[in-house]
Amino acid sequence: MKLNNRSSSLSKVEIPMAPMIDIVFQLLIFFMLNLKIISPEGNFNINLPVNAPANAQQDVALPDIKVGLRSDRDGNLVQLTLGGNNLGNDNAAFDRLNAEILKLIGRPGNPATAQIEVELDADYECQYKYVVKAISRCTGRFDPQTQTIARYVEKIKFAPPHKPK
Amino acid sequence: MKTRKIEMGFTEPDMTPMIDIVFQLLTFFMIAINFENTKADERVKLPRDMLAKPPEVKPEHELVLNFGFERDKEGNKKNAVPTVFYNERYVEVGQLTPDLEQEKRVMELLHGKEVIDKVTVLIRADSEVPTGLVQQLIKKCQDNGFSKFSLRATAEEK
Repeated sequence: MKLNNRSSSLSKVEIPMAPMIDIVFQLLIFFMLNLKIISPEGNFNINLPVNAPANAQQDVALPDIKVGLRSDRDGNLVQLTLGGNNLGNDNAAFDRLNAEILKLIGRPGNPATAQIEVELDADYECQYKYVVKAISRCTGRFDPQTQTIARYVEKIKFAPPHKPK
Repeated sequence: MKTRKIEMGFTEPDMTPMIDIVFQLLTFFMIAINFENTKADERVKLPRDMLAKPPEVKPEHELVLNFGFERDKEGNKKNAVPTVFYNERYVEVGQLTPDLEQEKRVMELLHGKEVIDKVTVLIRADSEVPTGLVQQLIKKCQDNGFSKFSLRATAEEK
């Protein structure tokens, strides 16, 4: 009986690569075309329950922190206020707001001030970017050294809207 | 004189390095692709902020509202009044009620009557939109029963 030399015949079997390369290139082109280089997006949650009674906050021991954003007719920020205090209208004003909020809550994540709310009172024309900036400075602070976010106030709400100027 | 016989036969190129590279590229693009951002409308120039971090838990049901200005290719505003980009239409906030009612009806049909309390309205508003109009948009959504809201911003790298 003649024996086949199996080891030599197996080593010569060649897998056809062309169909695999075709498919791989098609997949590559699909993923390349669908790729969008965009920055990641994040959310700021706001607390706006439907039909909430207007005086619901009166029983709460801690009063709301009132942040005001006054603007001109073009929507540029004219004045940023905390309570009745004017903080200015530049980038430093938002940093001052951040520092003042920290003073009010004591320390980040303080359970005694966890229920405290920030009420944002913005002019009708005020550009939305200033509102987001104010929400961000009230919500917390990014520490570049530890790459972490210290959380200040989680609850943000809007005051009733103003009428256009 | 002896002449050297040159073989002109078919020689197969070595495909292995090319396949290696192609697979590496494929893996890179597969990992880098993000299908989540397909709802993101590039016409909206979101405000940038350091604290805007992607949420750890994705909301179960969400309604994305892109609110911005109609812009030309250079990014200049075509219309001074911001509109909601809804199904390839530009809808002013005051005229959004029928569309919101329709969204609500579809969600209730698909997921039941109670779903409306669980829906998060994701507002992607342009950084230059007047805040009064964003509040008006939120009010319209509230009138239709939506109660959870999130404001979107682009994560700023420093």
